[in-house]
Parts: sequence; C-alpha cells; structure tokens
Amino acid sequence: MITKTAIDQLTAKLGSQNVFHQPEDLLTLGYDATPQLAGSPDVVVYPTCSDEVQYALQLARDNDLPVTPRGSGTGLSGGSIPAEGGMVICLNRMKRILEIDEENLTASVEAGVVTLDLFNTVAAKGLFYPPDPGSQKISTLGGNVMEDAGGLRGLKYGVTRDYVMALRCILADGSELATGGKSVKDVAGYAFKDLLVGSEGTLGIITEITLKLIPPPQAKRTLLAYFADIRNAGDAVSQIIAAKIIPSTMEIMDRATINCVEDYSKIGLPRQIAALLLIEVDGHPALVAEEAAAIEQILARARATEVQVAKDEIAAAKLAEARRTALSALARVSPTTLLEDATVPRSMLAETFTLIDQLTQKYQLQVGTFGHAGDGNLHPTVLCDERNTDEMHRAHAFYDQLYEQVLAWGGTVSGEHGIGLAKKDYLARQIGSGGIAVMKRIKSAFDPTGMLNPGKILSTNKNRT
Amino acid sequence: MNPKEQHGNFSPEKDAPKYADLLQCMRCGFCLPTCPTFALTGRERSSPRGRVALARAVAEGTFEFTSAIREEAFFCLDCRACTSACPSGVRAGELMEICRTQAHQQQPQPKWQTACRDMILQKMLTDPKHLERAMLPARLYQKLGLQWLLRNSRILKLGPQWLDKATAMLPPLGQPLRQQLPELTPARGKKRGRVAFFLGCVMSLMYAEVSQQTVRILSHQGFDVLTPPAQKCCGAPHLSEGDRQTTRQLAIHNLELFLALDVDAIVTDCAGCGSALKDYEELLEDQQDTHKLQLFRNKIKDISEFLSETGLRTEELLPIEQAVTYHEPCHLCHAQGISRQPRELIRAIPGIELREMKEASWCCGSAATWGLKFDAASQQVLDRKLANIAATDADLLVTANPGCQLQLDWGIREAGMAQKVIHLTELLGRATP
Ligand SMILES: Cc1cc2nc3c(=O)[nH]c(=O)nc-3n(C[C@H](O)[C@H](O)[C@H](O)COP(=O)(O)OP(=O)(O)OC[C@H]3O[C@@H](n4cnc5c(N)ncnc54)[C@H](O)[C@@H]3O)c2cc1C
Ligand code: SF4
Ligand code: SF4
Repeated sequence: MITKTAIDQLTAKLGSQNVFHQPEDLLTLGYDATPQLAGSPDVVVYPTCSDEVQYALQLARDNDLPVTPRGSGTGLSGGSIPAEGGMVICLNRMKRILEIDEENLTASVEAGVVTLDLFNTVAAKGLFYPPDPGSQKISTLGGNVMEDAGGLRGLKYGVTRDYVMALRCILADGSELATGGKSVKDVAGYAFKDLLVGSEGTLGIITEITLKLIPPPQAKRTLLAYFADIRNAGDAVSQIIAAKIIPSTMEIMDRATINCVEDYSKIGLPRQIAALLLIEVDGHPALVAEEAAAIEQILARARATEVQVAKDEIAAAKLAEARRTALSALARVSPTTLLEDATVPRSMLAETFTLIDQLTQKYQLQVGTFGHAGDGNLHPTVLCDERNTDEMHRAHAFYDQLYEQVLAWGGTVSGEHGIGLAKKDYLARQIGSGGIAVMKRIKSAFDPTGMLNPGKILSTNKNRT
Repeated sequence: MNPKEQHGNFSPEKDAPKYADLLQCMRCGFCLPTCPTFALTGRERSSPRGRVALARAVAEGTFEFTSAIREEAFFCLDCRACTSACPSGVRAGELMEICRTQAHQQQPQPKWQTACRDMILQKMLTDPKHLERAMLPARLYQKLGLQWLLRNSRILKLGPQWLDKATAMLPPLGQPLRQQLPELTPARGKKRGRVAFFLGCVMSLMYAEVSQQTVRILSHQGFDVLTPPAQKCCGAPHLSEGDRQTTRQLAIHNLELFLALDVDAIVTDCAGCGSALKDYEELLEDQQDTHKLQLFRNKIKDISEFLSETGLRTEELLPIEQAVTYHEPCHLCHAQGISRQPRELIRAIPGIELREMKEASWCCGSAATWGLKFDAASQQVLDRKLANIAATDADLLVTANPGCQLQLDWGIREAGMAQKVIHLTELLGRATP
C-alpha cells in the first residue's frame, strides 16, 4: 500500500494531472492486451521528463514499492501488468521527437513516442524507420525496444534491436545510464544496449532512444497469393527464400483469419481459400520487377491458385493495414483470444502448419493462424471462451504440445511478444535452469532488490524488505 | 433484461450492456488514437478501452457503478470513432450510451437549468398546437448538447455564463418546416420511385431551408416524396440521455407509421436521426418481429447514401465554381459507415473542387463545445478541427448534420474564419435547377 504522504509528494512534484490513484484509474492501468491477466497498482504516474522518472523511482524505492513501466499497454505477454501492485510508470506522455539527424541518419526520441508517429515524421523528411509491429499506430518505441518488437518488414529489415543505436535509462538505484551512441561502431566494454533491448522493463526504465534510419526503397511491389492448402503456402515461403530472394514482407493468414479481417476491413479478400500470402518486394525498380517476376513463378510452382498484384501504393497500403488488424479482428469471433508466438526455422513452416492442424483436431478447438511467415514466426490463435474451463484446459494442452515440438525443431517460444508473465514456464523449458540462473544474476546486478517489474521473465526474487 | 445475462452490479431493472459485448474487447488499444476524450485527458479511463474495462468490472461485480464510471459514460461524446477503429467489433460508444440508462436518476435541477429549458421552450415553440410539441423542446435541448453540458457542468467547471454563448449559437428561427411541407411532393422529370422523408426536429426548426432543398432535390431526381405529418422525433436525444424506454415508444410509433407507407426508402438528411432510426432494429429486438425490423432498417437511407445508390442524375446540374472541404459527421461516418457517398455527390457537381482536410472524421466536439469555451484543454477539440479546416483554404465547409453545422458555424464565426458552413443538400440544392 502506498501512503498518503507518498502520493502527496508525487503530486507535488509531477502535478495532479500526472498522478492518479482513484480506483477507476488503477483498474484501467492494470491490464495490457494479454488475455485473462490483470493486476492493480497502488498509484500511477505519468512523468513528462527524465527527472520525474528519477524522482518517481526514488520515491518508490524509499517506500518499498515495486515499479512497473508501461508504454501503451499493447503487450501480449503481460509485461506492463503490475503483478505485485505498487507503482505504474506510464511513459506515454514523454513523446517528443527530440532530433532527426539527417547527416548521421538517426532519430532521437523520448520513450513514449508512438511508433507510427516516428515513421511518418521521418518519412516526411525522405527517411525510413522500418520496424512496424501490427500495433504500430499505438505502441510506444519504449515498449518496442523493451519487447524487441518485430513487424511486417522484419524479414528483410530486421527487428527493433537492429535499429537501436543508443539508450538512456534510469536504473533501479536512481542513476542514469547512457549506452551506445550515434557512431555506427562501438565495442567499448559490455554491450549494455543489447542487454537492455528486449529486457521487458526488468533492468531499467528507458527514457530516451536513438534509432537508426535508412533511406526508403525506391520502388515496391505487393503481391497477394491464394492457396487451397496452407502447407503449400508454407512451402512457397521456403522456396522463395531458397531462391535467394528476400522480400521485405511475407505474411500469412489462414481462412479463419481472412474471414475475420474481411468482416472488418471489407477490402474484398476471398473467403473460400485456405490461406493467403501477402508478399512485398522493394528496392531498386529493376530489381523489384525481376524479383516480383521470379516470385510469381515460384508461387505458381508451389501451387498458388491465384496471384494478384496490388494496383497501386494505396491498394498495397490497404492490404498491409488489413493484415495488421488480424489479431484484433480474430477477437470478434469469440470472447477470448489466446495467441501464441511460436517461431520455427523457416524450412519447418509447412510441418508446423500440419502440426497446428492435427492439434486443432485433437483438442477440438477453433484456431486461426496468421503471422510473419517469412520470419517463421506464427501466431496460432485459439478462439475460445474463458468461461468454459474445459475448453481453456484443452487450449493450454494445445500450446504445451505445440511448443514441445517447436523447441525440438530448434525454434523459440517467443519470436517477438516476450516472456512477461505469460510465458515464464515455457522460457525455462527453452533455456533450462542454467540459463535461468544466469539471467537471475544479470537481473540482480542491475536491480539488487528486485523492484523493477517483478515477476516478469523470471519469477520474483524478492530481496525487497 | 434477460435474467440469464450476467449483470453483476448493473441494475437488472434497466438496460445494461451485454456481458458478451464487453468480453469482446481484447484490449489491443487500436481505438485509443481515435478517441477525442482520450486525446483531451490522456487518461486511460477516458478511452474506449478503459471505458469497456470499467463496464466489464461492473458486470463482473468487482466494481460498483461508481460516480466516476457514470462520469465517463457521460464524458464520452458517443462519436463512435472507436467503433470504426475497432477490428473486434466492440462498440464502446453504444455501450456507454447504454450505461447512461443505469445512471439515469432524476436529480433536482438548479434554477438556471430550468431557465434554459424555458428559453428554448419559448423561443422555439412557435406553434403549440402541434402534435410533437411536447417533444420539440426536449429534443432540441438535448440534441444541441445542452443536456450533456448541464450534466457535465460541474466536471467541466462551467459557470452559468455559458448560456449566453449557447443563445448566440442558435440561428434565427423561422416557422417549423413540418408545417410547410406538403404531404406529397411529386417527382419531376422521369419518375424513378417513391420515398418517404424523415424530417428531423432540429432540421425542421432550425434548418428548414436545408430540408426544403433535400425534398426539392429528391423530387428533381425523380422521386415522389411523402412527408407524413404524424411522424415523431427519432428518439436519438433520449438515447443519448439514457432514456431508452422513451426511444422505444417513439420507435414503435415511427416504425408502424412508415412501414404502412408504400415507399422504396425512408430518407433523412440528419445524420443523427439516420443513425438512431437504423438502431431501432437492435433497440426493439425483444419486442418486434425480426423481419419487420429488418425491412424498416433496410429502408432507412441517409440522403447521400440514397442518391449514391440510385445514381445521381447529373445532366441538368448547374456548375458551382468554388473550393469546398467536407467535415464528416460522426453519426454518418462512424455510426453509419457513410464516408464515400457524400464525397461522390460533392464531386458530381460541375466546377466544384473538393479539398480534403486532415482528420475529416474527427469529432467537431459538437455537444461539448459550449462548455469547451471555459476549459482550455477542451477547447482543443474545436481548435483542432478549425485548424484543419483553415489549412484547406476552402470557400465552403460542407457537412451533413445539424449538430455539426451549429457547432462549426459558431466556431468559425468566433475564430473570424472565412468559410461558410453549409449542409450537403444545400450545396446540391444550389446546383439543382
Ligand atoms: C493487435 C496487436 C498486434 C501486435 N503486433 C505485433 C507485431 O507485429 N510485432 C510485435 O513484436 N509485437 C506486436 N504486438 C505486441 C506489442 O504491441 C508490442 O510488444 C509493443 O512493443 C508493446 O509496446 P507498448 O508501448 O504497448 O508497451 P507495453 O505493452 O506497455 O509494455 C511492454 C513491455 O515494455 C515495458 N516497457 C514499456 N515502456 C518501457 C520503458 N520506457 N522503459 C522500460 N520498460 C518499458 C513494459 O514494462 C512491458 O514489459 C502486437 C500487439 C497487438 C495488441
Ligand atoms: S475496443 Fe476494440 S479497438 Fe479498442 S481495445 Fe477493445 S478490441 Fe481493441
Ligand atoms: S464514442 Fe467517441 S468519445 Fe466515446 S469512447 Fe468512443 S471514441 Fe471516445
């Protein structure tokens, strides 16, 4: 519990518009997009600058409050849920784009800047920030860095990590750590920056990020390929890559997903087909034309029933936009949408689809699958009802068995959504007790009392009094 | 309410959100950047996602229907931008509208509020003999957002002086159109069909000349236009007030009246009315035959939707050499999904140049605006809109709903901007010989 004095102190420093403790605020800042999980903090603060973050952390430490950092709460593994109460620090009011350095091709931003806002701002200057998670219109860059978010362009352009050049963060002891810089090379000591990326708010609170920008591709072409069997789509992906073509985007949606997306976006997707691939190639115009032609041939060989080319940029953007709604659109089918983030080596895609199919039959579930096929990153989503306990059991058994095989194939339990609260057990299975022990040592080096985002990634190691 | 329905701490005697509708929200946050109240406060509880979560907690019995939750239900503009943005089909605005039913408690009203009601009564009610006279003041009072302001006057920290502004906003009132329109306006030229005209209360009283144009356009386009004098208020104000029972009574009256007419469509030029009429289907689902409800629902057409479906006869249209920009009424674009059609009609007029403004479908703050004047943060809703309008440098601002028109007309005057605000059918009327 937080004392009234502490709340008064916070209010005095941050202003009453930036400190909330009414039950209605606490309820609505206790969840993220992860189904069935929620917590309730004692107080929520919205710092507007790094000093205020430092102040809030200091006060939390003095009052023995756990601290959960939060961006926009779109996380899918429970990362920003205040599992042990305490203080939620929302970074989404620190949203200034501080600098766009056109000479060094970097952007420096506060942690709360929304991903798409940065994309648009740099695009207006003729530059390109590629990582584009489905949630880009609301997710924060701080949240992206902390989850190492991927996106539709991950295949060719990589994930958030590949663009982080420097970070500024406040550590649990209240000190500020700046790591990395604008120089493209940096081997001075341990790579803190790389450790912080993907650390899900357990090592420090990010206040400022410097990101790499690149020149945008000169040309693009978007293809849509339809399949009567989803395994053929999986094969097509492997074959395209085997042909040494790296499209910027290779996304898959199965029939259930296509139908939900079409229900919402009404862009004329065919409802009968088993699966579609959304493929985009970009780069020099000549190369784009050549690669698109080669892909069309491969698709035909891989038994695509039809291949369409988006007629212009607007049509292409609409397709990508529609794909981004896949998860939320699937949620229209049933009260609860359980989604996973299994990632396999790309060559195993077709087998993974077969497995998902078998398990769906075995456990009598309704499953919609979509994902970043080019990255081998699939989101098999169970459409269920949390009020039906039996169904929930079956859903969990489904994932258990799926992950067992994914790990056997050398895949991972999380491609991009992180471990958070939701996947701690799976993490232990993947990295073993030795791996967990090292992670715990790293965690205590940064945060000896375990006050930062306790219960995430690792089970609590409570050294707090 | 269905006894099997989980209502937790919602009062079972009144309308309450359906639990399944609340569960539908998967908390993805896609709606957040489209919500004007979230943009104002940056507070999750004033966002669609937050509001649904609050209602869900009440339905699950973990929260009382607290005064803060009631506040959020009324602070919601019911602009439904969140409905358009939500891939999961959650309708946070409507859920809040239903929550208002729960909040509907008759509290004694301060004197100045009664004074306001009286002002509208006296100023607006020119013919007390009329059937709907009991409806008019209430509807106007609510439609114009006075109700919202009254309820929120404390939250918004308004003093009674806002009333002067409200009075300044009202256009001069003529004779209500309802008394002037003939029951049948015959088609001109080659006849293409027969429609009924649903005349909104605000349109009838404040924008009589606009609805006159609507009828003239329909007739010029080849349609017989029936305007049944017995029609009543659509019930939208009562809905937004949280009085769903009265809306149901009005709905049944209008449903019977209009279904008895032999018409191809029931056309309206008020986005608010159109949206409410289309909602009858859901509102009456437990009381009326599904087939009948569907029949009625399928006949309701906004004027732009109707003209676009039937195909505008453009041969005789006169040119208008002006640049226009279009503001989308929330109850047209978000509640009815009509965005393309008004633009098509505008572009069909020879000589006209349509300049898109940024954020055309962002709420103008209609109901809220008078209050906004007194609150620096809230003024941003209107300012944001006005800035986007100004940036187009258009001659005319076209819209399609009386609430927006009042609001924008006033805002533009106050800001000393040059644009003239006109209804889409006024524009089409000018082009119609
Ligand atoms: C519909 C939908 C589609 C999605 N699509 C994708 C996708 O394509 N690819 C993908 O990778 N993810 C996707 N996600 C997941 C999610 O959007 C990302 O993980 C995103 O990066 C989270 O950003 P956020 O601002 O919402 O962070 P939050 O959810 O608020 O927080 C995420 C984590 O970061 C921590 N955190 C946040 N800000 C800070 C900070 N400043 N300092 C320290 N810690 C911080 C939190 O404690 C938490 O652990 C999707 C989510 C949804 C709902
Ligand atoms: S209302 Fe819709 S868009 Fe908003 S959080 Fe819920 S599911 Fe997502
Ligand atoms: S209806 Fe409008 S104001 Fe209300 S929650 Fe939705 S977007 Fe926000």
